Amino acid sequence: MESSSGRSDPEEVCPICLEPPKREAYLDHCFHSFCYHCIVQWSKFVKKKSYQEEPSIKCPLCKAENLSIVHSFDGESFLRFYFNGDSRNSFFTSSHGYRLQCYSCELDDIHETPLWSQTRESSYYSFKNVRLISHLYRGIMLFIQEEDVGIIVHHVHGVIEAFFRSNKGDNTTLNPEKRREMFRALLIDAAWPFLHARTERFADELELFLASGLNIDAYDEVYMHHLENYSSSEASGHVAPIAEKMQEARLRWSASVSETRMKEITLDDGCCGLEQALIDPWIVSSS
Amino acid sequence: MQASRARLFKEYKEVQREKSADPDIQLVCDDSNIFKWTALIKGPSETPYEGGVFQLAFSIPEQYPLLPPQVRFLTKIFHPNVHFKTGEICLDILKNAWSPAWTLQSVCRAIIALMAHPEPDSPLNCDSGNLLRSGDIRGYQSMARMYTRLAAIPKKG
Repeated sequence: MESSSGRSDPEEVCPICLEPPKREAYLDHCFHSFCYHCIVQWSKFVKKKSYQEEPSIKCPLCKAENLSIVHSFDGESFLRFYFNGDSRNSFFTSSHGYRLQCYSCELDDIHETPLWSQTRESSYYSFKNVRLISHLYRGIMLFIQEEDVGIIVHHVHGVIEAFFRSNKGDNTTLNPEKRREMFRALLIDAAWPFLHARTERFADELELFLASGLNIDAYDEVYMHHLENYSSSEASGHVAPIAEKMQEARLRWSASVSETRMKEITLDDGCCGLEQALIDPWIVSSS
Repeated sequence: MQASRARLFKEYKEVQREKSADPDIQLVCDDSNIFKWTALIKGPSETPYEGGVFQLAFSIPEQYPLLPPQVRFLTKIFHPNVHFKTGEICLDILKNAWSPAWTLQSVCRAIIALMAHPEPDSPLNCDSGNLLRSGDIRGYQSMARMYTRLAAIPKKG
């Protein structure tokens, strides 16, 4: 039976292992396809043999020069592996690399956690957040995989700020869900020309970040915990209690802030669904 | 190591399946060692090798297909790019121009093409190369034909 289905149509097998491609990947210039593992292994082998940092490799099939491998295509978006991608001297740090991994995994599981359902109601989309800009910088840099993204960050940040400002006056006219939708639509409009199919995911990440009320380091820590727990407990069907982790992180951060600072902060009604005492004072509300 | 075995086994299955696809090539794997193969190839027509059957020995490295197989002629052949004594073959795809997309079968085809189109400018057999480079096509052809008759055509009776 195998001979009929596995009949090697050269278009359907990886030319390196001769099996149907696993994690199908393409070269960016000629678009010949391979298993991700096979073509990465070959590119590393060629690099090692040539003893020099070639920014490109020849396609094993057609000898066209290619700069990167396009992989993890999910119908909308994809990732790239650059042959000159020596992480030590590129602008990506290891934490960038980690985030990139986070972006390439499914977010669904995070949306289903108590964290998301708890904070979803809070009006994070209505108030200025001083940490937003650093999150934007990193997010856009990783999604576009370029270093010089300042102008895009300012554009998106400006759009968000304008939304926060315009919201101040008429808090009561729209219900929170409507406003959240407006916020998201605005965000997607602003980022779409640069991020294309990855915009939705970018918006998910941004909303989650804002909703968490954490700063980047604390947020990463929680995110990481969640992903690790998720992957290790996947088999047992146990979902990591991310909300608890969020609270722990909040406690750590709030403990480091002086009492006076705490008092200065005015909290709008329903600004955060979690205990007010635990709220990280670094969220500066619009008042 | 594991990858090379899996791939060679895949090629083995392909060869069994496509036995009649290419009548000029017969690839056989050593029963006890998947890293040793033998091929019989027919000399291409309209060349001095026509009518001859040439035996090739393949020795496959463990890093295959990242590294090319080592191939040599077991049958004596008079060709500018084949060492007359050792049977070593000078062919770019078996050295620097190797790509893992080549298979043992396609390497055989490349060797047949090399037999039909010698490259006298990178000779391993200088006598043969010099004949061609000096324009003595007849001399090269008659030498090559003689060795084909002597070594590559089964003796009758």
